Amino acid sequence: MTPYNRHSMNNLLEVLDVHTSIGQFHILEGVTVNVPRGSITALLGRNGAGKTTTLKTIMGLTPPRRGQVLFDGQPIHAQHTFDIAAQGIGFVPDYRAIFRDLTVAENLQIAERKAGDLARKGELIFQLFPDLKRLIHLRGNQLSGGQQQMLAIARALVADNQLLLIDEPSEGLAPIIVEQLMEAIVQLSAATTIVLVEQNFAVASQLAKHYVILEEGRSVRNGLMTDLVHDHATIQRYLGVM
Amino acid sequence: MRRNWLGLRQTVNRNRTQVAILAGVTLLLLFALGGMSGGDWVITVLRGLAVGAVVFLVAAGFSLIFGLMDVLNLAHGALFMIGSYVGWTVYVRPDTAIDVITPLLLLAAGFGWMPLWQALLARVHLTSGVRRAAPWAGLALALALFAFSATRYPIAAWNPDVYDASPIVYAIAMDSGQEVIAQAPQVDGVTAALSMAGILVAGSLAAASVALVGHGQERRARRGEMRRAFTLGLALALSGVAVYALNEPLTRLIFELNTTWRFLIAVAAAVASGFFLGGLMEMTLIRPLYLRPIYQLMLTLGLAVMIREVVITIWGRPQITMPKPALFAGTGTGCPAQNLDDLLAHQCSTISFLGTRIRTYNEIFIIVVGLIVLIAIWLLLQRTRIGMIIRAGVQDRQMVEALGINVRRVFTFVFALGVGLATLGGVLAGPALGISDDMGESLLLLALIALAIGGLTSYPGAAVGAVLVGLLQQFIIKYGQVGIQLPFMTEPLKPSPPLVPASAVLLMVVVLLLLPNGLFGRKE
Repeated sequence: MTPYNRHSMNNLLEVLDVHTSIGQFHILEGVTVNVPRGSITALLGRNGAGKTTTLKTIMGLTPPRRGQVLFDGQPIHAQHTFDIAAQGIGFVPDYRAIFRDLTVAENLQIAERKAGDLARKGELIFQLFPDLKRLIHLRGNQLSGGQQQMLAIARALVADNQLLLIDEPSEGLAPIIVEQLMEAIVQLSAATTIVLVEQNFAVASQLAKHYVILEEGRSVRNGLMTDLVHDHATIQRYLGVM
Repeated sequence: MRRNWLGLRQTVNRNRTQVAILAGVTLLLLFALGGMSGGDWVITVLRGLAVGAVVFLVAAGFSLIFGLMDVLNLAHGALFMIGSYVGWTVYVRPDTAIDVITPLLLLAAGFGWMPLWQALLARVHLTSGVRRAAPWAGLALALALFAFSATRYPIAAWNPDVYDASPIVYAIAMDSGQEVIAQAPQVDGVTAALSMAGILVAGSLAAASVALVGHGQERRARRGEMRRAFTLGLALALSGVAVYALNEPLTRLIFELNTTWRFLIAVAAAVASGFFLGGLMEMTLIRPLYLRPIYQLMLTLGLAVMIREVVITIWGRPQITMPKPALFAGTGTGCPAQNLDDLLAHQCSTISFLGTRIRTYNEIFIIVVGLIVLIAIWLLLQRTRIGMIIRAGVQDRQMVEALGINVRRVFTFVFALGVGLATLGGVLAGPALGISDDMGESLLLLALIALAIGGLTSYPGAAVGAVLVGLLQQFIIKYGQVGIQLPFMTEPLKPSPPLVPASAVLLMVVVLLLLPNGLFGRKE
C-alpha cells in the first residue's frame, strides 16, 4: 500500500506529508498528522515549528503545495475555506478573531449554518461558558482576553462541527481562566474530536490523548501522551521544558 | 435614570475627540448665525446638507467596497456620472431608453447562456495556442457583429454634434412643456429581425469568448443549472423581442405619464443600471485581481477614463440640464408656498422661509432621500444577516470564511450595492447640479476627502465627513457673497471662489493632523 492510501476509518482527519509555502518561505516541509476520532490530539513544538500553519493549511487558509488533507476519508486540500468549514470543521485561531463591531450575540449568530443552530446549541454553550450569557449585549471589543477566548470557542460550537481546531487557547490568560477553559475543552472532547495547539506542555499533557511534535516544519514524533510524559529526553530535545 | 446618565458619561469619555469636534462644529454654526441673516443661515445649512447627501451616496458605496474587499474603486465617480446620464435619458428621452432595451436584453441573453457555452467548449479539445488566441478573436468578431447589427436596429437617438438634435435642446423643450417624440429611423421587419438575431449571436459569441478564458478551470455545471441558464437566456431574449413588438404603445404610455412618475422610473432605471454594472464589474474585472491591488488601481482608473470618453461620445461634451419633475416645479398661483399646505397643494418649486426662498428639490428633497438611504443602509448593516457578514468581513474576511460562509458571493452584492448608491446619487444630482462629463471626478474627490475626514471604512464616518465637507463649502460660498466679520479686521473678509475646493482639502488636513485615522476611523 502506498502511504496515500492508508486511510483508516478510525482517523477523522489525516494530514499526509503536507508542504506549505507562504510567499517565498517554505513553512511546512512534510507534516503528517493523524487525528483519531473522539479524542484530543495535541500539536507540540517550539515557536515557529509550523503548528499554526498546519491548522491554517487544514482550513485552506494557506493551501498546501504538496500532500493531502483527508477529512472523514475525503480529500479537502483543494477546496475553498468556506467549503472546508461547512463540512464540519470549527476553527479557533490563536488571535481569537472576535468580530469587535459585533455584539457577543451576533458573534454567535454569524456562525449559524442552518437556521436555528444557535437555539439548539445555546444551552450547551451557556452551560460551558456561563459568563457569555451576562455579556451577550456587549461588543467584541469590550471583552477581556479570557472572555474573547471563551467566545471564540463558543462560536466554533454553534454549527454542527465534528472537528475543532483550537490554537493556543491558554496564551496570555490568567491561570484561573486557563483552568476554566481546560474544563470546557475536556467536556467538549466527549462529543467532538479536537486538534489542540498548545505551548504550555503542562496544559497539553493533561488534555490530550495523542500528540504530534513538529520541528522546523516537519512532524518528527507522534504517539500517546501517556508515553510522552515519561520520555524526558524527547521533551527536552523538542520542547525544551522540564 | 442614574445608570443612563453614567452610560452617557462613559460614551462621552470614550469618544472625547468626536464629542469635542461635534461641539466645535455646533459652536461654529452658531457663530455663523451671528454673522448673517437667519434666512441666509438656514438656506446655507440646507444647501450644505444637500451637497453632503450627494457626497454621502458616493462615499458610502466607495467605503463599503473598500472596507470589505480592499478595492479602491477609482471608477466610482464615473459610475456616479453614468447614473446621471442614464437617469437623464430615461427621463428626457424615454423613447430612446425603450429603443435600447431590446438590444441590451438580447446581449444579456447571450451572457445568460454562459453555462451552456462552457459545457459546449468543455467538449472541444483545444491546443493552448488556440485557447490563448480564440477569446480575443471571438471578442473582436462579437464587437464587429454587434456594431454592424446595432446600427441597423431602429433607435431614435439624438445627435450631440447637431445643435437642433442635441441633448441640450431636448432638455430645454421638455422643460418648457413641449415634447416632441423623435422619429426612430424606419426599417422594415426583416432588417429589424436580422439585426436582433445579429445582436443575439454577438452576445453569445462574446460570452463564449469570456467562457474560454477560464477554460478547463471551471467546475462542470450541473444539469439543473444548465436548464436554469437556458430558461433565463430564453426569457431575456423573448422579452427583448416583446419590447420590440410593444415599442410604440410603451413609448406612448411613458410620454403620457406625469413627469413625477417619469422621474421615479428614471431613478429606478439609474439604480438598476448601477446595480447591474457593479455586479458585472466585480464578476468580470475585479475578481481576477483581488490579489493584485496595484492592478486594481490601474484598472479602475483606466475604466474611469474610458467611461468618460464613452459618455462624451454618446451625450456630447457640453453640460446638459435635467428638468425638475412636476412635483417640485410648480411656479403658478400660490407659489412660492408660504406654508406646508400651500406647498402640497400647488407643488411649488420654492417655499418662502424667513425672507428667502428654499428650493424644494435642491434643498429639501435631496436631503430627505439622503436621510432615507442613510437609515436604510444602516438597517441593512445592523439588522440583517448579510449586514452582519459585511461588518464582520470588513474586519476579518478569513475568519468569516473559516465559519463556512462564502464571502465572495457577498462581494458581488456589496459591489453592486455600492455602485447602485453612486448612480442613485448621480440621478438625484442631475436636476440640481446639472450634468456634465467632469461631474464624476469632482464628486469622487469630495467623497474621498469626506472619507478621509470620517475614517475610511466607517459608515457613520462617511455620513459625518460628507456633511462636514458640504457645510464648509456652502458656508464659504455664502461668505463670499455676504462677507465675514473677523476680529482685528476693519472690513468683512470675502473668501474668493478658489477657496471653495481648497477648503475641503484644508479641513481634511486639519482633521488628519489631529486624528490620523479620521473621526470614526480605527487604528490599524
